[in-house]
Amino acid sequence: MADSTTTTSGCLPASALTRRAFSAGLLTTGLLAGTGRGHAQSTPKRGGTVRLALFQQSTGDTFDSARYDKGNDYIRGTSVYSYLTRMDEKGEAQPEVAESWEANKEATRWVFTIRKGISFSDGAALTTDDIIFSILRHREDKVASTAKQLIANITSVTADGPNKIVFELAQPDVDFPILIGIFQFALVKNGTYDFSKPIGTGAFTVKEFQPGIRTVLVRNPNFWKQGQPYIDQFEMFPIPDASARANALLSGDVDMILELRGNSIEQVAKSSNAEVFVTPSTRYTAIQAAVDRAPSNNTDLALGLSYLIDRKRVLDTVLRGYGTIANDHPIGPTSSYFNAALPQRELDLDKAKFHFGKAGIGQSPIELSMGDGVLYSVDIGQLMQREAMRAGLNLQIKREPAESYWTAVAGKRPFFATNFHPRPTYNMLLNLSWKKGAVWNFSHYENERLEKLIDMTRAEFDLAKRKEQYGEIQTIIHNSGAIMIPTFLSYVDGVSKKIKGLTPLPIGSLGGFNFTDRIWIEA
Amino acid sequence: MANFIIWRLLATLLLLLIVSLLVFWACEILPGDVAQVALGQYATPENVRALRIEMGLNEPPVQRYLAWLAGAVQGDWGRSLVTKSSVSALLSERVANTALLAGVTTLIAVPLAIFLGVVMAMWNGRAVDRGASVVILALSATPEFLLATLLVLLFAVNLGWLPAVAYLSTGSGLGQTVRALLLPTASLVVVVTAQIARMTRAIIGNILTQPYIEMAMLKGVPDRRVVARHALRNAVGPIANVVALNTAYLVSGIVVVETIFAYPGLARLMIDSVQSRDLPVVQACAMIFCATYVLLILLADVLARVFDPRSLPQRPMDAI
Repeated sequence: MADSTTTTSGCLPASALTRRAFSAGLLTTGLLAGTGRGHAQSTPKRGGTVRLALFQQSTGDTFDSARYDKGNDYIRGTSVYSYLTRMDEKGEAQPEVAESWEANKEATRWVFTIRKGISFSDGAALTTDDIIFSILRHREDKVASTAKQLIANITSVTADGPNKIVFELAQPDVDFPILIGIFQFALVKNGTYDFSKPIGTGAFTVKEFQPGIRTVLVRNPNFWKQGQPYIDQFEMFPIPDASARANALLSGDVDMILELRGNSIEQVAKSSNAEVFVTPSTRYTAIQAAVDRAPSNNTDLALGLSYLIDRKRVLDTVLRGYGTIANDHPIGPTSSYFNAALPQRELDLDKAKFHFGKAGIGQSPIELSMGDGVLYSVDIGQLMQREAMRAGLNLQIKREPAESYWTAVAGKRPFFATNFHPRPTYNMLLNLSWKKGAVWNFSHYENERLEKLIDMTRAEFDLAKRKEQYGEIQTIIHNSGAIMIPTFLSYVDGVSKKIKGLTPLPIGSLGGFNFTDRIWIEA
Repeated sequence: MANFIIWRLLATLLLLLIVSLLVFWACEILPGDVAQVALGQYATPENVRALRIEMGLNEPPVQRYLAWLAGAVQGDWGRSLVTKSSVSALLSERVANTALLAGVTTLIAVPLAIFLGVVMAMWNGRAVDRGASVVILALSATPEFLLATLLVLLFAVNLGWLPAVAYLSTGSGLGQTVRALLLPTASLVVVVTAQIARMTRAIIGNILTQPYIEMAMLKGVPDRRVVARHALRNAVGPIANVVALNTAYLVSGIVVVETIFAYPGLARLMIDSVQSRDLPVVQACAMIFCATYVLLILLADVLARVFDPRSLPQRPMDAI
């Protein structure tokens, strides 16, 4: 076995190095320095209560990790449950409950070694049965899971002795240790289907949980990370109104808030007791074309539209500078896979007119479906509408209701806005959104070459080759006429200056929603 | 009187039944069911199917309505489709919060408003009336969200005297609760007082022009006694109705204030539940709102009749 496996502790340097280089390039690490929160040098202090104001109020708040789909749940999840691995700031998987892991050469068989002596908050020891159940329950028919697509590649999960878990994969996946640490794969007790009284192995236990009202978590004295968490209590509750949320931070009623918007950003930046916490990321709001119907199956029409976007203006006015300009494909400019040879698309009325002429659209109205359900979509649409007038296109914006947006609008109208959060790896995102029949392929786009390339990158250890493959992927998507991505959006949150130990992680707000066991209060 | 109340209560029950039917029907025709909305971007056919089975949504609508009705009649509001906890548990804290805010606001606003209204009516057209009228008109024209935001900016952000959000942790003491409630109560008191005071002024002013008031004045009754004994007694009916409508509004319609102060009340719950298509919760909220309106107006009518026996109907059906 030793011969045919690679270990993360460096047994087979070539692949370990490749993976590190790969991961570093994948996330927008180059932008991480911009936040000025290097507090790692001061020593953590014990005690105190931290309050977090959420921006989404939902009675759908849950502790069932299979149903997780928003920050509220992710933060609860990382606080109360443990995970096999955790992604760090460099985009690499770090040991959590899994002490170490190794893969075979093809990256189709992964063996994870489980840390000993971890117990649930009710006293029961964490066993391999619990871990296997926590992963495989997402496949069960009766469990509606947001991780169903991600688990599809796992063919079997078995125990090898009391502290080893073996995963067999259908397709090779060099990023598997990152995948297995995502929010949905929280470790729960074997046979749990009712999560109203959650039992986990995490840093906190639940003192009070009222969906849509508040969550109060208290320190788990038996947490397996020695000395952690530092804070005694963590509370979260929603303040849906953006300015009320900022006011609560400024007045000191809460210590952290999710999603600063508009003028509140400057207000917090100027204040003496709080600061803006920026996480650069490759989150994006896109305008997609459904290529399986008219008029959006006309590639020239979509390409023409993409020349109507004044990206600089979107960045400056809509995002207030908190983002980066994108080039109609989902790979971020600081990634080592970024295809710099691809010319940046800009506002260009002549090119737009050329494509509209070729499309033969004339004066027939073109409708963009957008709405408050998709962040900033209406603002971007309005900017496009202005330019469309100058290019002689009759562009209409249709506001759609947020509640039924993802079932009745996305993928069902010719042109519509969508919003994607970054996935831990680009491959995960591409698999879920650019393959035929994939759940988030809202454009219904089909391209055999693209699908082949996506599969190739997942099995390719060589960085140079991978870069070439990703370069081609970007060219295909850029010219597909299926998607317009004007900008990437940073996460902008507000944090009291008392809170230390928080580091940004480009996959989500406030340290990638995973911070409660690491922060402390500096008096 | 007893007949009158019984008839009205029976009519209320019928009304609740009709409202529940309408709400159910409205939820049915809204696009996207609870399973689709709950799954959002993750609403794949297989996930939606699994969730629908879990939520018991595969039965025909008539059957689901009747099941809900059978439970509701026995006091069982069912379980929330989204949180799976019982609706009564979900409602209990919200009802208490809403009752607290509405109750405190009513207790402060109503005496204040009636006092102001009477004063303005008594000195009709003079400086005090004109001054108060201008202020009250300006306040009743100010939207709640502006007033509440200004109060927060001044007292919470700039002065730091009061919390910016009305967040009540479980087991927070009296002092904490009062501090938390001060700003939302103040914004609501201003809005409600302005309305009731204007109506009171109009009602009393109207009564003061009646011949029997002139008679009382002519026979030498002092002004204060005229207003207190003769005018106010006859104004109880209409004022009670205005107060009832305003109180009902405090229970069901203060979503703006609830949002700005992040106060978990019923109005916000109703909106959240409609958005997530959580029918049992929507139904329970609708029933509470409807019953509040009807019962408060019934109370106002009873008060009116107590203070004015003339208005007692000859036959019970006339009352309806």
